[in-house]
Amino acid sequence: MDKQMMTNLKQAISSVLETMFFLPVQIIEENSLWGNWSQQGIKLWHVAVRFSGPVNGSFFLLVPVSLAQEITANFLGLDEANVAPSQESDTVKEALNMIGGYVLSQVEKADEFQIGIPEIVSEGQVDLANMQLESSNTLIIETDENNLAVGFHLD
Amino acid sequence: MAFNVLIVDDSSTMRSVIKKIIKVSGFDVGNFLEAGDGLEALEVLKRDWVDLVLSDINMPNMNGLELIGKMAEDDMLKSIPVVMVTTEGSDEKVEKSKALGAAGYIKKPFLPEDIKVALCNIMGEEIKDGQTDDDESETGDF
Repeated sequence: MDKQMMTNLKQAISSVLETMFFLPVQIIEENSLWGNWSQQGIKLWHVAVRFSGPVNGSFFLLVPVSLAQEITANFLGLDEANVAPSQESDTVKEALNMIGGYVLSQVEKADEFQIGIPEIVSEGQVDLANMQLESSNTLIIETDENNLAVGFHLD
Repeated sequence: MAFNVLIVDDSSTMRSVIKKIIKVSGFDVGNFLEAGDGLEALEVLKRDWVDLVLSDINMPNMNGLELIGKMAEDDMLKSIPVVMVTTEGSDEKVEKSKALGAAGYIKKPFLPEDIKVALCNIMGEEIKDGQTDDDESETGDF
């Protein structure tokens, strides 16, 4: 299941971020992101959504606030300066909703899965050490000038 | 003749995006109405004249499938076409939407053309610039 979901996750990221947010993306293998984010004190949106079905778990998305602003501006057709934090949080939640929904619609027994409502876990200084990221299935995404991370945990 | 559209989605940004796409597609829309879930949508439907509903499925309080189920039980509402705009794209969910009376579906992520084509199919308007759904995203009408 992990392998299939990971393959679907790669497709979902390209489909959602490029189609709806006009964001060119590249998946990178080497992960020095956690260290860089921590060292540089990068402020992040951390959003997650539960799913249930043949297996249970959650999807998560970590997006630097500056990138969330860019994504939201692209999504709504606004200048970045005019993007409100509430619009940023709504956009990152919707992005994860689409990514998670795409992944689950492609797995075996897709009809038996239910996805929850995405929620903001935290904003600002995210405690990456407590997220068990090394044991999760995580993809690091490189955009023009920034990075984000998407992944899932299975219970 | 102008028609009124109700957009139902718990994401206000998604509602804004859909509204903007419909506006720039050149449809003759009288009023855009919005609701954050199925319960709010039912309140709007009982209060205002609505010609078309575009609804997400995955929402708190009352989801999109429950909404079309409620609409189907109401003589005043059951003839209003509902297009599902959703990430829930499994065959069963699509079939369930159809069985409950949905007039079509648009799978997220979508392109502006997907919304345009779906609305043309439902409302019978012509696609003015000749574009059709020649992309990889998925839409459908029943």
